[in-house]
Amino acid sequence: MSLILNLLLNGVALGMLIFLIAVGLSLIFGLMGVLNFAHGAIFIWGAYIGWTVYGATGSFILALLAGTIGGVVLGWVIERLFIRPFYGNHVAQILLTLGLMIVMSEGLKIIWGPNILGFDKPELLQGVVTILDHAFPIYRFFTIGVGLLVLLGVHLLLTRTKYGLIIRAGVQNPEMVQALGIDVKRAFTMVFAFGAGLAAFGGVMAGPSFGSVFPELGMQNQLAAFIVIVIGGIGNFAGAAIGSLLIGLLQTFMAYYVPDAAVAVNVALMALVLILKPEGIFGARR
Amino acid sequence: MRARILNNKLLLTVILAGLAVLPVVTESKFLLSMLISVFILAVYAMSYDLLLGYTGIVSFGHAIFFGTGAYSVGILLSKTKEPNLLIVALLLGVAIAVLMGILIGAVSLRVKDVYFSMITLALAELFFIVSEKWSSLTGGNDGITSIPVPAIFRDRIAFYYMALLFLVVMYLFLRRVVASPLGRTLQAIRENEHRVESLGYDVVKYKIVSLVISGMVASLAGGMWAVFQRYINTSVLSLDRTIDALLMTIVGGTGTLVGAIFGAGVVTFAHEWLSSLSTIHPIFERWLLFFGLVYIAIVMFFPKGIIGTIRDRWMKK
Repeated sequence: MSLILNLLLNGVALGMLIFLIAVGLSLIFGLMGVLNFAHGAIFIWGAYIGWTVYGATGSFILALLAGTIGGVVLGWVIERLFIRPFYGNHVAQILLTLGLMIVMSEGLKIIWGPNILGFDKPELLQGVVTILDHAFPIYRFFTIGVGLLVLLGVHLLLTRTKYGLIIRAGVQNPEMVQALGIDVKRAFTMVFAFGAGLAAFGGVMAGPSFGSVFPELGMQNQLAAFIVIVIGGIGNFAGAAIGSLLIGLLQTFMAYYVPDAAVAVNVALMALVLILKPEGIFGARR
Repeated sequence: MRARILNNKLLLTVILAGLAVLPVVTESKFLLSMLISVFILAVYAMSYDLLLGYTGIVSFGHAIFFGTGAYSVGILLSKTKEPNLLIVALLLGVAIAVLMGILIGAVSLRVKDVYFSMITLALAELFFIVSEKWSSLTGGNDGITSIPVPAIFRDRIAFYYMALLFLVVMYLFLRRVVASPLGRTLQAIRENEHRVESLGYDVVKYKIVSLVISGMVASLAGGMWAVFQRYINTSVLSLDRTIDALLMTIVGGTGTLVGAIFGAGVVTFAHEWLSSLSTIHPIFERWLLFFGLVYIAIVMFFPKGIIGTIRDRWMKK
């Protein structure tokens, strides 16, 4: 029983981390049709910036802040310099963001080296809580709590604010939004920077969760986020959230019971969804 | 126009003749080995160009085909210890590639192009992990060492000519493919998929055919690679292997088979040269960074690559 509860907790916590990277990717993809291959690189840059700031100041809050700001800046620069000239040209966008991924991950290795760096949990969040005689790590609860806050925040942003309205309308029909006189390009830049910020934030959160950071972590999580998008449907917020939880739980349980098949099962699930419902479980046919 | 093509052919023949007499004039084992890898990787890059440059689809799973070809040769020859089964192993690799091409295409080509890229990436990752875990078959991370190969492939000069012949044959084959009605349909799909569809063509079917042909050629290249190295490990299935093909194609110029060959040469030599500079400064160990920058600049400013841009300049004159 304790084992199942622990796995559930781990799965939900992992799902929250995947959600942080998937939601930005999904919004960017849904709104602009840009498949951002550099998203995982932004995630891992966030983690490394967080690691550095955490090591220098000892404050995890500052680390989260610095990582997020770093992500926003990276996203902003990438969108303005590399994506903006190539709207509508999917192939060029994929190729460009792939190049950025290469440059960013090599740059990361130049600055921080290619090896694994330990990332300790902040003191307050170390240790376990005992509930009904079962011990659970505090950081998992923290991850889930923060994830839920972000989920709620993004939900409110999308449903209650003018920008949310523009973004949702933009995902549905960018041309119409443009025709209504709304500056879609500006919205694009903001969504890109916002998504990048979320990914970088997720990177800092993921560091202590995995206990270490290393360059390949970016690609691994990006892959999970890609699978989430395929499963959840393009630009679908609820789809990204539920897909992330699904993948997080599936991955955690498989990693415990059939470790060799943990990644295979994600890909298998994706293939199944594609065959049965190519637009994703929650996606609208278009 | 005609003069240009004539020029091109002449140029190609001169280069080919130069490469053919090279082993006679040089003794450098290093140079010959390097050129052998360029020839093999050029075939791999051309196969990728059929997808990217001619059909207009971006696959991140091309290493799947290269890797299955390499592992077919590696596993069959080392398990049976029978080097003369090479042809069988190569054909086996091609057969698997056909199967994989149909399967991957059927699952993923029905959806939008961007999805296809994502899905091929996930599938490639799956293959990579399977090859790491299934170590009784693949040797896992350690790979398969000292693959037995037929005696003739152990002679460097003989292998050099074989690899050159392999490149020429594959070039002629792929040129035939892209100039055929099939190839023209693929290029039409690249230009305007919806129009081709409304003309009554089954676009998905054509894309699958493109993927299958490309996969077959890539598998052969992978098989040759295994013979050349006599050692393979999981890196033949890694994302880096796909990115290699992509860099070579983009640098040389998409949609030109010669460009892919040229790109393979540039990337291989630059890799060697830049990493040799790491004795001067360790930053050159990260040579891919420089290549990534060059690659980004090419995508942004010279979308037709080196050969494509040169051709355009010639056309204008």
